[in-house]
Formats: sequence, structure tokens, C-alpha cells
Amino acid sequence: MSSEPRDLEEFRAAVRDWCRTHVPRGWRQAQTGVSDEEYVSFQKAWFHELRQAGFAVPHWPKQWGGGMPVAGQVVLYSELAAHDAPRLVLAFVAIHHAAATLLAAGTDEQRRRHLPAILDGEIWVQGFSEPGAGSDLASLKTTARRDGDRYVVNGQKLWASGATHADWCLLLARTGPAAPKRRGISYFLLDMRTPGIDVRPIRQATGESHFCEIFLNDVVVPATQLVGPENGGWRVAQQTLGAERGMTMLELAERLGQAGFRWLVESCARPGPGGRRPLDDGLVQDRLAVFETEIAGLRALCRRLVDDHEAGPPGPAGASIVKLYYSELLQRMTDFGTEVAGLAAHTELRKPVSSGWESGAWVLDFVGSWEWTIPGGTSEIQRTIIAERGLGLPREPIGS
Amino acid sequence: MDAEIHDELRAVARDLLGKAGPAGRPDWQLLAGAGWPGLEVPGALDGADATFAETAVILAELGRAAARSPYLGIVVLGIGTLTQLEPAPDRDKLLREAATGAGAPVAALADGDDESGTSAPFRIERSARGLRLHGRAAFVPDAAQAGRLLLLALDPGGVPVIANVEPHAPGLGVAAQPVLDATRRLALVTADNVEVRQTSVWRFAGDPQGTIRRLLDRAAVAVACDSLGLSEAMLAATVAYAKVREQFGRPIGSFQAVKHACADMLVQVSVARELVAQAVSQLAENDPHATVAASMAKSHACGTAVDVVGKAMQLHGGMGYTWESGVHVYLKRAALNRSLFGSPAAHRRRLAGRYLAQSTVLAKPTVIARSGQLPAARLAFASSPAGTSPTRTTECPSSSRPNTSGQISQH
Repeated sequence: MSSEPRDLEEFRAAVRDWCRTHVPRGWRQAQTGVSDEEYVSFQKAWFHELRQAGFAVPHWPKQWGGGMPVAGQVVLYSELAAHDAPRLVLAFVAIHHAAATLLAAGTDEQRRRHLPAILDGEIWVQGFSEPGAGSDLASLKTTARRDGDRYVVNGQKLWASGATHADWCLLLARTGPAAPKRRGISYFLLDMRTPGIDVRPIRQATGESHFCEIFLNDVVVPATQLVGPENGGWRVAQQTLGAERGMTMLELAERLGQAGFRWLVESCARPGPGGRRPLDDGLVQDRLAVFETEIAGLRALCRRLVDDHEAGPPGPAGASIVKLYYSELLQRMTDFGTEVAGLAAHTELRKPVSSGWESGAWVLDFVGSWEWTIPGGTSEIQRTIIAERGLGLPREPIGS
Repeated sequence: MDAEIHDELRAVARDLLGKAGPAGRPDWQLLAGAGWPGLEVPGALDGADATFAETAVILAELGRAAARSPYLGIVVLGIGTLTQLEPAPDRDKLLREAATGAGAPVAALADGDDESGTSAPFRIERSARGLRLHGRAAFVPDAAQAGRLLLLALDPGGVPVIANVEPHAPGLGVAAQPVLDATRRLALVTADNVEVRQTSVWRFAGDPQGTIRRLLDRAAVAVACDSLGLSEAMLAATVAYAKVREQFGRPIGSFQAVKHACADMLVQVSVARELVAQAVSQLAENDPHATVAASMAKSHACGTAVDVVGKAMQLHGGMGYTWESGVHVYLKRAALNRSLFGSPAAHRRRLAGRYLAQSTVLAKPTVIARSGQLPAARLAFASSPAGTSPTRTTECPSSSRPNTSGQISQH
């Protein structure tokens, strides 16, 4: 960063000043072991703070409240991470997935209705996966039956993160039962207060209950809430998922570099029971240097992905490469953190809400890392995408 | 120079090297005619006034072709060193010649046997009959083909200088060190009481230590560029083969085991490419932090190349193991590259030295295990009343995950 242009340097200084006065002191301690209500209220208040500063949705178009250049976003995310600012967890799907969908495929009316509302704190959840439709998402069975100027939805969604707090849901449902599976799916905006919706949390490997099941029983959705054409939902989902991928990864990669790695070094510098520091071991030093190098590569890859996206359609496999590499790097790093931190790490029974995926509570971080290698397309699925779309290798024979 | 010029340079290089064939020996006069030796030479000395960023484009193409060329010894080491010396008529003359492809100056900056790579391999002593040169440097690229040797030495005052010597000077030994990689030529350079005239002792224009560090980083990144190029070539060859080679009635590239191995190769190469690009641009801009980027690029790209070529041999099956297929040429070159100008472990030791220096000032993460439930009101902005619902069992944010396209199946 030594050759940073003057305007970026000034912006960096401004973000630093802002962080010094606005990142709540002691939030990690305060947000460890809090109730759901406290967590939600903390997240909303932090979102409001960021919004006031113009930092909440820098990746949105200018007319909707964003318009920050990519280089500025990199600076913003790296400084927020370096100052250990809380992450926007609750608003994540809203500001990335929902916004990208509305901007790319929504009607003017849908954008005017929801984009300002998201800035005011509207929370979104993604209703894509189902019990029988995970990696093979296109085989989803939830139906939306047209009935005049509305649809009636029935089915079950799974792995909907944060559904208990959501105001709205991005819903994929089948509208053309006779069509080939990808051509019979429509994309809807679903108001979570609609009668007939039942949300049940699922307990995860980490012990938390953040993923949810959503049961949909004769849920009525006005036809005006359709995004894109009827039976054209698969294409909408494909396009809009690509649109936000780079941005989300940019922030997470900066977090991994600025916070995660710093804490890993710190963990290694802490003397063990015998007074020895893992950091004095040459093997530990070597592993740390590997991680630092891999993180540097990841950060550069993310910037390239975002730059390419601004310049035109990105390579077909770029997003999958970044997702796969981040997921497995996070897993390797948290595994290593668990190993070097030893038995003491196992006594850290909780980690603070609103923190990153690498909080320094290494065992929980490690267990939680499968939340990256499984959802959003498993690592196996990503490798298949990379090979087929990025390298043009022949597709698997498709089963029935 | 911008990306367009790089693309053009790359296309010309690929064409020119392609004519020599894989592991071919491109005609040096042809390369000289294309202006490659003089890329970084100042315009005033008949060079192209370009930067290491342009040299890097050529280096990756030489790696892609596994070309037998003295480009590393002459251009990266020899000419690279000459440009860093105090201007003087002799030096200027040599540099002007070198820009046209003549003279073949090769520099010995490090002893390949010395992993630490910190000390000058030669020393100049004052004797009754004038200055005398002593020392040795093993595994010097292209030294046996040099028209002029530029030896990094400590002068009698302990200042690093370049001793400009004839390869056939009495007391100087240049012995080829045959290696398994048939595409590179290395030599052991020894100096035993070699007479050096005062006018052949050339000083660095800037701070000698910093300049030498930069030259060695540059050499390491040059090898990383080569390894990146050969990785890309092997990935492309493997993918092409997997698309046409059939077993069990299907192209082997349609099998997931093969497909996923290829995907891993692409991911590794993509990361290496970014790290190399970062190091190249920092070196081209004389960024003082380039040394970190150089160690990252060298250790990663050269380690990756061995993995990638190894996988290429595996996925080519029995054919890949034959001499005829030529995969072994790449494997040997990749393995040699990994050891040239600092092993991955040596470069990572350099990186890790920074953690030892910094670790005392790093901020500690505040992770409170069991208690530590401060009232929310203590926070600068928190407005919520204390919650009444059950406490969350563990706190791990879960929705902050982008849904990448895999959620939508690949079919």
C-alpha cells in the first residue's frame, strides 16, 4: 500500500478516524452470551452507524446510496477489519443478495419499495434449498400455483440462515411442474409476515441454532412480487448470485487478512504451560508464512474478481475459485489455530456474536468452518463448476 | 506500459518461442532482434526504457515453452545488475552492447549452495601486486556461456561491488554443473587469486545492500514467473488431454476424480498468478516492500509448479511417464526452479522473521470464554434493553455467507 494514491490515503485516514470513535469499545465481551434480542438490536444499531457514515452499502449504485469505487471499498473493509469492527451479519443477505436481485431483475416499483427499506433495516433471508434439493437445487419441489393475480405457495425450505429475524424472503418455487426442471422455476419476494409461514430453527454442529426450516402452507404471494418472468427464476438466480459474490468475498478476505491472521500469530506468540511459545518453533513459523502467503493470494484474487466484474462479465469460474479457496483456507487456518492453541482453546465455550468467521475462539471457529465448505455450493460442487465452466471439461452424464 | 502492450509482447513471444518447439533452443539472435535483452536498458544506451513488468512477460513465456535460453543469466542477472551500477564509460559500453544481444554478461550474485543468500560470494583483497579476487559461487545460471562475468564481491573496505572479469582470466574457474533439468545450464564459478584492475571494480549507484536485495528478489521473482508459465502450460496440456483421452467409453475429463484434480490445478495457478503479479509490479515500481511480495511469489509459485506438473504427469497416465511426452522436462525444470534463488522454506523463513519482530505489539483479540456479559448500555450506541429471551448457546454469525452458484446445481 506504499504507493497508494493520495485520495485513497486520505480516505484511509478518514476511515481510521471514524473507526477510532465509532467502533464500540468492548463489544466482543458485551456480545458474548447475549440474548437474540440484544444481538438483533446491536446489529441494527451498528448498521445504522455505518449507514450514517456512508459505509453500509458502498457497493450499491450511487443513486441508491452507494457508488464507492472498488479501491475505496478495499480500504474500507481492510480498516474495519483492522479496527476489529463488528461485522454486518443480520443485514448480509439484504444488502448483498436481495439488493443484487432487485437491481438486476426487479421492477422499478420493487426497487423503490425495498432498497430504501433495506437501508432502514429491513432483514432478508434466502429460501432456496430444500430437504431434497441441496447440491441439485434445480430439483426443488416447493410449488407456487397461479390463482388469478396471486400465487399460492406450498412446500418446505431448509438452511435458511437467520429466518427467525427476517422481514422478507428471496424464494424460489416451481411454477411449471411439467417443464424441464430448470425451466419451471420462478423467483419471488415473500413477505415473512404472510399467514401460513412457520419458521423452525435447526441446531447446528456449533451448538447454535441459526439455520432454519421454513414451512410454507398455502402462502399467498401477489403476482406483483414475481421477479423476472414466470418460469424464468433460475436465470435470475444465476445472474444475481454472480453479481454480489465478489463484493461479499472482498470483505471476508480483508477480514481474514487483517484480523484472522493477526490473531493466529498472536495465538502462536502466547506462551504455553511450559513457557514455550509455539511461535519459536520453526515448523509453526513455516505454517504461518504459508497462511500469510495464501491470504495475500486470496485478497488479490478477490480484488481481481471485483475489478473484472466492473469491467465486464467475469470469467465463468472466478467466483467459484474464490469461494472454494476462501472456504478451505479458513478451514485450514482455524484447524491450525485449534492445534497450536492446545487444550486451553477447548475451554472457550462461546464466541462473540457479530464477529468474523475467525474470532480467535479457534475450536468453535474450526467447527464452524464447515458452514463455508458445505453451504452455498459444496467444495465438491465448486470444483465441478471450475472444471466444467472454467476449463471446459466435459459434463458429468446427467442422471434422471 | 499497459496491459495491451503486455498482450502484444506476450503474443509475439509465444509465437517466436513456439517456433522453437517445447524445450527448444530459440535462436539468441532472434530474441535479440525482438529487443528482449534491451527491454530494461535506458533509452540513452539503445535500450527500450521498459521495466521488470515487461521482462516478466517474457520470463513467463520462456517457462511456458520450457525454453533453453540464457535469458535468466544474461538479462535478469547480467543486464539487471549492470543497470544498477554507477554510470561509467566501460559499463555504458558493455550495457549498450548487451542491449543488442552481444557481450553476454552474466552476474554471479549468490552462491546457490548458501541458503541464507546474505553474503557476497567473492571478496577482493589488496596484495603487493594489486587487487586479487577470491571466492566461489555454485549453480550460477548460464555462467559457462558468459562473455563477461560480473561477480558480486566485497572490496577491501568491505563494501559490496561488482568485479568485472573475463571468463578465461587466469585463476578463474567456470565449471559446468550438469543437472537433470536439460533446459537450464548452471556452473560453478571459482576465483583463486584472480588479478582485478581497479577500473574493473564497479560500484553500485545506490545503497549497495538495498540494491543487492532488490537484485536477488528480482532473480527469485524471475524464476517464479518461469514457474508460473510452465504451470499454465502443463494445466493447458492436461486439460486438452483429458478432453480427448477416452477410457470406459468416456473422455477421462468427464470423471469427477480427474475433473476435480484439474480444478485444483487451476485454483493453485490462479493464486500463484496473483502473487507473481503483485511481486512483479512492486519490483517494477521499486516499492520498498517488494521483498515480502517476492518471497511470497517465489515460495508459492515455485511450490505450486511442482505440484501442478506432478499432477499433469499423473493425469497423463502411462503416456505422461514416457520420455517422449516431455512432461518430465517440465517436472525437472519446476523442481530446479523451486531450489533456485532460495527454497520455499528459506523464503518463508524471511517472512516469518517479521512475525517474531512484531508479535509483541500485535493487539490481542478479546475473547471472553464464559462470563463477561457487560450491560449493553456500556456500548457507545447500544439502545436495546436487556433481553429476556434465552441466551444463545454459542454465538456464531451464520448468514454472512455469499451463496455462490454451486447452490444452483451444475447441471
